[in-house]
Amino acid sequence: MVRYRDGDADAFSTLYARHKGPLYRYLLRQVRNAGAAADLFQDVWSRLVANRARYEARAKFATYLFHIAHNCTIDFFRRDLKMRRRSDDLDAQSEPEVPEYQRPDGIAEFAEQQSALLAALGALPREQREAFLLHEETGLTIEEIARVTDVGVETAKSRLRYAIRKLKKSLLPAPIPGAQPLRTRTI
Amino acid sequence: MHPPDDLDEYLRGDSALSRQYRRESAPTPAHALDRRVLGLSRGTHVKSPCLAPLAFAASVLLSVALVLAIVFGPQTAKRVDDAPRLVRVAAHSDALTNPPLNRKLQLYSSDPKLARAPSEWLADIAALRRAGRNREADAELRRFRSTYPDYSTGELAIRPQGHP
Repeated sequence: MVRYRDGDADAFSTLYARHKGPLYRYLLRQVRNAGAAADLFQDVWSRLVANRARYEARAKFATYLFHIAHNCTIDFFRRDLKMRRRSDDLDAQSEPEVPEYQRPDGIAEFAEQQSALLAALGALPREQREAFLLHEETGLTIEEIARVTDVGVETAKSRLRYAIRKLKKSLLPAPIPGAQPLRTRTI
Repeated sequence: MHPPDDLDEYLRGDSALSRQYRRESAPTPAHALDRRVLGLSRGTHVKSPCLAPLAFAASVLLSVALVLAIVFGPQTAKRVDDAPRLVRVAAHSDALTNPPLNRKLQLYSSDPKLARAPSEWLADIAALRRAGRNREADAELRRFRSTYPDYSTGELAIRPQGHP
């Protein structure tokens, strides 16, 4: 990133190749919508490019990149919440305009298309899911996760602990004998 | 409250949970999205840090050239005065009613060769009257009468009131 900041345009390609997968999966599994994830993905890189002159190598680059991503997802969830509230206020009689992925049938369909683990991940509270994704996708430590998500170390540790406890349950054999986790398609 | 080894085991990096997660499919951004982001980085990037001062110097040079062109340019040289357009129009119409400078020789000459047609000469005398230059108009009228003694001058002989 320092090389890119100092004018080496090719350094961006290296950065991008290294981080695009983890960043994309983090966004996709956080917002659970491919279109929204693609928009956020572009937004994160746009912010990085726009602010490159102010970059200082004080920590691992991943913490810088995922801090931007964290802020983008927070903005996304706030906008989404506002949109749903406005929709409810405008027309309480009609069905509110919510994204397809948030409708009950959409959620059910989404869950059927993925493994038990990813379904359990999607069912986690957003903060716990984020802590797990940051560790799995980027290898960040608890301290780094705390920095990225603007919380204390103990809070980050607690979120990750709850996340892995719930996710481990999804790895247990199904209670009905012979039942297999559904894995038609994963995202 | 929590089993003490849950988190520690997971953080060691080789838990069953991590292995299972890594076995899941790993979606990546579409190629079109790759192209957009890479284009974004190139589109706003200055290729070399050396170009920045050069670009600044070029813009300063252009600005100075533009200012000099405005101040000393040919458009400015053509304009002889800074009078507003209305004043210039008035001056132009005044020139139409008053005798122009190159006709003064003929106007003040009693030489019949230089004298113009009676109607033209009388029009010039009338213009002198309108301009309040009655003394010159009188002198011109005398010359006119000596040149064209039989030509009626009408009311040009009468001085307007309040004028010298």
